[in-house]
Amino acid sequence: MIINKIILIKIFLIITVICLTQFFSNNSNTVEPDEILQDQKQELRARNISKNIRCMVCQNQSIDESNAPLAKDLRILIRNKIKKGNKDKEIYEFLTNRYGDFILLKPPFKLSTLALWLLPLTFFAVGVFIILFHNKKSKKI
Amino acid sequence: MKKQLLILPSVFFLLILSIFFYLLTIDRNPSELPSTLLNKNVPKFETESLLKNEKFISSQEFGNETTLVNFFATWCKPCRDEHAYIQRFSNEKGIKVIGINYKDNPKKTIQWLKKLGNPYSNVAVDKNGRIAIDWGVYGIPETFIVNSKGVIKYRHVGPVTKKIYRKINLIIGENK
Repeated sequence: MIINKIILIKIFLIITVICLTQFFSNNSNTVEPDEILQDQKQELRARNISKNIRCMVCQNQSIDESNAPLAKDLRILIRNKIKKGNKDKEIYEFLTNRYGDFILLKPPFKLSTLALWLLPLTFFAVGVFIILFHNKKSKKI
Repeated sequence: MKKQLLILPSVFFLLILSIFFYLLTIDRNPSELPSTLLNKNVPKFETESLLKNEKFISSQEFGNETTLVNFFATWCKPCRDEHAYIQRFSNEKGIKVIGINYKDNPKKTIQWLKKLGNPYSNVAVDKNGRIAIDWGVYGIPETFIVNSKGVIKYRHVGPVTKKIYRKINLIIGENK
């Protein structure tokens, strides 16, 4: 029994370490030193935008994480626009005008994406309804 | 009544299954993305011309006749593969073809065109890839059809194959 417990604790520790390293490794990034802006506030804005922009080459990574040349080009483009004094909204608009809504990792709330956003809520509501309905019946028995 | 309702989940499941099956069997490329530039005017740009000793000005190149725009580079193998088809467009069909040379070495490109043949009436130099971003390009080769009013009518991502060659001819025919 005691040995089993020790093994369990070991497994638990291993999993925790793996999870923690994964969590912290997310903080490392592919942004190259020559890309980084001097102004920390501006750099932070650039990083935030980059995290929301899909890399069109890899398609499931943000340009902040991607090593693709196009992702690097877009990161530099975003930083240049920030330096020029463009607002975040203008930068997002610039990118969606060229690459469409697909370039946003989070799909916008639009008529065409209504089902995407509302279906989970509807399913949840249906689920709650079923549970309540079911409970009522079982109490009667 | 209650027993009849019990069939509903399986009906629903079968419905989803048939939708998935339909999407699997129809001929489509899931990585292909819709272009937001369709039915919009060509982006305006000015750059160097690879073969001519003058500037490449987009407003002078587009809007007179139906034009094919081909993003290419010598370092891109699929571009070499599709080159024969691009040549057929300009040689056999007499369609105006504009090349946009993406992130490439001009000297190498001139040699490449001498060796394989030059289907382009003019080649724009896109040294840093900035023009490609304006066209929403994310992987070369890409080919666009621009009609005589300077409006983008079709976009193809990837090399032109026999099938795409036929498709482009069909669309050009419709837009003439």
